[in-house]
Amino acid sequence: MQIHPELQALRNDDAPQRRAQQALHDAMVAWRAAPAVAAIVDDVARFAEGAELAECLALARLFVAGDASVLDLVHGFTAVGAGALMAHPLAHLPQRHYHDQVLSTLVLARAGQVTLSLAVVDGDSFARLPPARTASFWPGEAWEHVLAGRAQVEIVQNVEPRGLPVQLRREPAEMRPGDVFVRHAAREAAVLRKVAGCLVSLQLQRRHVDAGPAREYDLATGALVHQSAGDPRDSRMELSLAVLGRMGRSDAAPLMASIAREPGSESLRWQALRECLALDTRTGFATLSVIAGDPRDVLSAPAGVLRAQLVEAHPQLLEL
Amino acid sequence: MNLPKIDVSSLPDLDTLTGVFGSLVDAAKVQSSNDTIIVMMTFLYDIYPPNPGSGLI
Repeated sequence: MQIHPELQALRNDDAPQRRAQQALHDAMVAWRAAPAVAAIVDDVARFAEGAELAECLALARLFVAGDASVLDLVHGFTAVGAGALMAHPLAHLPQRHYHDQVLSTLVLARAGQVTLSLAVVDGDSFARLPPARTASFWPGEAWEHVLAGRAQVEIVQNVEPRGLPVQLRREPAEMRPGDVFVRHAAREAAVLRKVAGCLVSLQLQRRHVDAGPAREYDLATGALVHQSAGDPRDSRMELSLAVLGRMGRSDAAPLMASIAREPGSESLRWQALRECLALDTRTGFATLSVIAGDPRDVLSAPAGVLRAQLVEAHPQLLEL
Repeated sequence: MNLPKIDVSSLPDLDTLTGVFGSLVDAAKVQSSNDTIIVMMTFLYDIYPPNPGSGLI
């Protein structure tokens, strides 16, 4: 195995790497402090607090077809970022970023449920992937401004989301530089089919809180093939519940009982109920009974079934 | 009262399971219009200096 001397040296002394990282960080802080960028960052925060996009002038301009401000933003960022990386090639950009052979993303600004990010899809690598079989819908809004490259996409409308299978209407569309796409992501998905060159776009996304899970449907049949939490907080809470349960932390049972009874993700509430029952039979069964007895609660039916099963297996629960 | 101890694995899940945020079945698909991607990251070095207070990430 060959290890570059510069990397080898870092094993004994990581100070140069820390200095390089500080330099990248300082460069990006300076970039963000420029008035044009700072106005956009402020707008992202305002947008996350619920403002309409039109009220956020600097941010809204980025998603007006033909407006030059988007190129100013991206060219400004790449000039500063690339300059700093050329001076410090082993450093990382401090912003969240992701790269695989096909897709690269970089989050330019984020606040609350809102992200403003750059996305690049490499056409040659994309062509080697098997074609997408599903479309994903998630609770939120998405804006996309194509900056470079071209792509053929399929716009998939979920025209009848209630009931299964859902009805999906599929229409081909072209993405060209300067195009702006706006989607209610719970009803409309964009599935990439073919990419010429590198497709570069600026994306703005705002997730809705407590608006249900993200759902993935089979394009051919409309069958639900997967659903996942619509909010990362729900997943974090579920993982925490599982850990507390395995640790036998019965002192967490009252908190789990509150989570199970509060409005929120059905999945999170059900997991809280299960863990609560296992940690503290009395608290858990009381919570289960309350949920089962409230016909307006979406979990009422499964809670009723579970309650009947538990009572059959353990008749003494009825004495509680 | 002698209450039963209930094993969590004996308690059923809901009919439709909900995966963690960002999980997908069709992993081949590029989520070009979605930030809901779960990425496992390994940090060799801190990429963020201590006490920066700039809100970059």
